[in-house]
Amino acid sequence: MREAIENMRKNFAMSSAAISTTALSLFLVGIFLLMFFVWSSFAVETLSKLEVEVFLKDSAAPKQVQNFQNKILSWNEVKTIKYVSKEEALDIFKEKLKDNPGILQAMTGNPLPSSIRIFLKDPHQTKTVVNKINNYTGLNELVEDPKVDIKYGADYIEKLFSVIKMIGWMGLSAAALLCFASIILVSNTIRLNIFARRKEVAIMRLVGASKWFVRWPFLFEGMFQGLIGSLVAIGLVYFVKVWALRKVVETIPFLNLSINEALFLRLILGMVLGGVLIGATGSVIALRRFLKV
Amino acid sequence: MIKIKNVTMIYNGGKPALEDINLQVDRGDFLFLVGPSGSGKSTLIKLLIRELVPTKGEIYIAGRDLVHMRLRKVHLLRRDIGCVFQDFKLLPNKTIYENVAFALEVIGKSERAIKIQVPEALKLVGLGGKFDRYPGELSGGEQQRVSLARAFVNRPPLLLADEPTGNLDPSISMEIMSLLDRINKTGTTVLMATHDREMVNNLRKRVIALEHGKLVRDQARGVYGYGD
Repeated sequence: MREAIENMRKNFAMSSAAISTTALSLFLVGIFLLMFFVWSSFAVETLSKLEVEVFLKDSAAPKQVQNFQNKILSWNEVKTIKYVSKEEALDIFKEKLKDNPGILQAMTGNPLPSSIRIFLKDPHQTKTVVNKINNYTGLNELVEDPKVDIKYGADYIEKLFSVIKMIGWMGLSAAALLCFASIILVSNTIRLNIFARRKEVAIMRLVGASKWFVRWPFLFEGMFQGLIGSLVAIGLVYFVKVWALRKVVETIPFLNLSINEALFLRLILGMVLGGVLIGATGSVIALRRFLKV
Repeated sequence: MIKIKNVTMIYNGGKPALEDINLQVDRGDFLFLVGPSGSGKSTLIKLLIRELVPTKGEIYIAGRDLVHMRLRKVHLLRRDIGCVFQDFKLLPNKTIYENVAFALEVIGKSERAIKIQVPEALKLVGLGGKFDRYPGELSGGEQQRVSLARAFVNRPPLLLADEPTGNLDPSISMEIMSLLDRINKTGTTVLMATHDREMVNNLRKRVIALEHGKLVRDQARGVYGYGD
């Protein structure tokens, strides 16, 4: 162990190249996973909130609205509905934009329509329910334009998901390539060290050192480099999590992004493990040739 | 101790470095391995420490089958073989005490055993007062004695010496030789490859001679026998 640290000090340039590549690749993996977590938690939250909202004409007769509501409630797919009056809609809107009083001051009267929010038992049945609403006789008297005033998010969410998945795969394969590069670099660093100490290694083998006895210090060195690399990467990822996420939330206030802390902890542990694994693999590869005697 | 049966060694498809060698060495024997350069002496020694595996044939040392030995068991074989080389193979950044101790550390001997065995071995080779010197500060003869101490510190049953006196003056060579003889007297089998005609002729030990990879002579009380 003392020897491993000593060696790293001697080969500072090579070590730092190996460490920084490891850090960079782990950082990229970390960022992509982080983005994936954020997006999926965002999508899951949105999905679970998934509802169909029908915005009503101001001129819709209360009697007809009541009939419509009763009809919707009788459908199997529907869990519950909620009628939102114009005043309630305005209150919600005010609450959402309380940090931006400018918009509220620019508003005159109440332009918001009343609506019926329909909560479904299963988000996948959105389409069916929307079709049923479209086929409701007398819809014309309740709704201005069915295409605009019946809002639902399923399509949008699914498209978003497939894009995220694609970006995720691209990112992960780039990161995998980088991991491979860092394995090679770590292995080169270790190879350099072994080469410098090949006489010692040969003598060790000659006097009967087991392969593991020879391997261990180099393996330790590789794992240590990987560990340092992963710690650097974790620092960067943490910085991104805290700083960039806040920036995003500041810019787009209604986008409710958050990261599950337990998930983030697992990500950190995974990165440490990944770093150590990269280092270990690199040194084992480097050692193979030298231990064949 | 050593049994070699029909061993042929060919490097990468070239001419055989060793061809159909048969040899039996009993426990406690002392034998010289002679022959001109390139006759296969070093190859034979490399086969015995299993640095190489023969192309054909069988090799046994103390009952161990070297040909079918797994790579991860090789270190156990080497713990039973002490090795001395022409170029000493000492670590220049370690003192001579550390060099000898290294051989014991590597095989997992306890600190206490090391503290007893290392000074003992160094005293045996006549380097009792120079524990803290580095190999670079010593003469060739002294370095070879360190290397002998390292080979012998673990009391291996077999000692292989590949031209241990090749770089040394004749008088110093005789010192090394007498040390090898003393080690042999303790029951260790010694096989020594050498070019030293005088030494072989004086000592009248068993001599085996290699020429062009073939074993051409095996005499019980032999002479060097080459007119080089």
